[in-house]
Amino acid sequence: MSSSAVSLYLDPQIRDWVLFPITIVMILVGVLRHYVVLLLQSPPKKQPKEAIREQRALMRSQILRATAAWSPVPPTYYKSISQSLSKAYEDGSFLKDGPPKGDEKPTPPNPLSDPNAMDGMMAGMKTQMVMMVPQMIIMGWINFFFQGFVLIKLPFPLTLGFKSMLQRGIETPDMDVRWVSSLSWYFLNFFGLNGLYRMILGNDNAADSSRDMNTPFAAAAMAPQPGQPQDYNKLFKAERDNLEFSEGLYTWTASDVEARILKKYGRVV
Amino acid sequence: MEFTAALQKLGGYQPRSSLKAKETLKTGVAQLRSGTFPPRGDNGFETAEGLFLAALDEGDVETAQQCLEILVNKFPESPRVDCLTGILMEAKESPDDVLNFYTALLEADSSNAAIWRRKAGVLRRKGKIDQAVEELCALLDTFYTEVEAWLELADIYSSCQQYTHALQTLSHALLLAPQNPLHVLHFAETAYLVPDIPLALKMFLQAVDMTDDDEQDGISPADTVPTGLALRAWFGVKLCTHKLVTEPKASNSPSQIASPTANVLASLDDLATERLRTAYLETTRESPPTAGAQFIEAVARIIPA
Repeated sequence: MSSSAVSLYLDPQIRDWVLFPITIVMILVGVLRHYVVLLLQSPPKKQPKEAIREQRALMRSQILRATAAWSPVPPTYYKSISQSLSKAYEDGSFLKDGPPKGDEKPTPPNPLSDPNAMDGMMAGMKTQMVMMVPQMIIMGWINFFFQGFVLIKLPFPLTLGFKSMLQRGIETPDMDVRWVSSLSWYFLNFFGLNGLYRMILGNDNAADSSRDMNTPFAAAAMAPQPGQPQDYNKLFKAERDNLEFSEGLYTWTASDVEARILKKYGRVV
Repeated sequence: MEFTAALQKLGGYQPRSSLKAKETLKTGVAQLRSGTFPPRGDNGFETAEGLFLAALDEGDVETAQQCLEILVNKFPESPRVDCLTGILMEAKESPDDVLNFYTALLEADSSNAAIWRRKAGVLRRKGKIDQAVEELCALLDTFYTEVEAWLELADIYSSCQQYTHALQTLSHALLLAPQNPLHVLHFAETAYLVPDIPLALKMFLQAVDMTDDDEQDGISPADTVPTGLALRAWFGVKLCTHKLVTEPKASNSPSQIASPTANVLASLDDLATERLRTAYLETTRESPPTAGAQFIEAVARIIPA
């Protein structure tokens, strides 16, 4: 073991001219990227009030139904709210484009022709580009200039299993696993700098690259799907059934309140 | 979420002088003079907003103007600052100018609920009740969850003696905040004014049920002295039972709530009288008159507003 410990002596120039530059460049690129992403992000589009009304219409009946089994509202008032909501859903008066006319089928708009949807997609693409391009450049830079460099020796021993992780780019079956190659140092930084960014830039920074590495497509899927607008008309029709169920469930909190109060105060009738 | 809540608060803001506002103003003005305003740190500009509102509470338009300038310089496009600008304009300019300002803002962004509410408020203070109601209804149709706006609409209806409408409005507030006894009490009092006495009685009892703390160190509620909301609710119960006993016509209910049977009614009346008597003894140290109408009149003096 002792022979392998002294077998390699790293030139301090490697530390000064390879190890530190790679680390510093990666940190700076991360910070720069954070600000570029901030610049690229366009503020979310304001929705007209009709659209908000349509979106929130379902919430009304959900609020009503949430307490239906033990409702604070007297029966006549509950019924009138429930029925007027049901009627509004039926007529489609919550829809932002007004009630549907006749039996004309609404065709889902083509996402490529809708400028709003295009904007959303482009914004996603732009951030993706800002994420990927610098990382590819840095990796090329390291591969071109420092391929096969051994940069650092870890202060603790590791098992052989870590060899592929720590010595990427160097094909030496006998070297101690504690030596880290340049390419592996890049990957360690790539995944490990997140904590540092969080310290420098605050909690939701855009600098962390490993995040989009993990989920480049999940992020896109999470975004509101521009291609499939919600068919609110259908949702409203379905909600009517729920309203009817809740009307059956309905009880009023105050329906036996006299008995409750009298019992609480120890009076018996 | 914090931002939305702040906007909601600004939407319903009305200047009201208070001790706290005076203190805020005093320290704030001293800081302004010495040039150390706004304080550094994350909350610096929130402090500026606080000082702005405190200055308006106390009618100090100058200071408010200075705070607003600080905020406008920092956040030129913020809807929250727009709202503050509107509030200051309400304090020093004619309602028509303010309305124009608000209308222009709403045209640019029709989904700005805070500005919308302020507009309705200005219309109401200008005396255009009908337009104010229209605006509030449209606002609530879009932003259903604004409890404060529902309460304001109910208040407008009550001030025009449209108690049935007020009840309908309040029922939405009840749905949105079913845990708040204040709304229940408010509903009950409005129902009493309709008049829908059986409904009012039920709601008053409901308010009693919500306000007497029944798990207080094992003391049964019967041994406690009703205070605050509970006292007000008990007074309402007493008024309702008294009316139901003395006026047979009072059991008519527009909302088809059956009034309780004579037995239950008698015990409720008895219980309410006993509760109110306890509270009266506790506050005035003398026993109230026993006759029904005089008793109510005497007790009315100790009811908190």
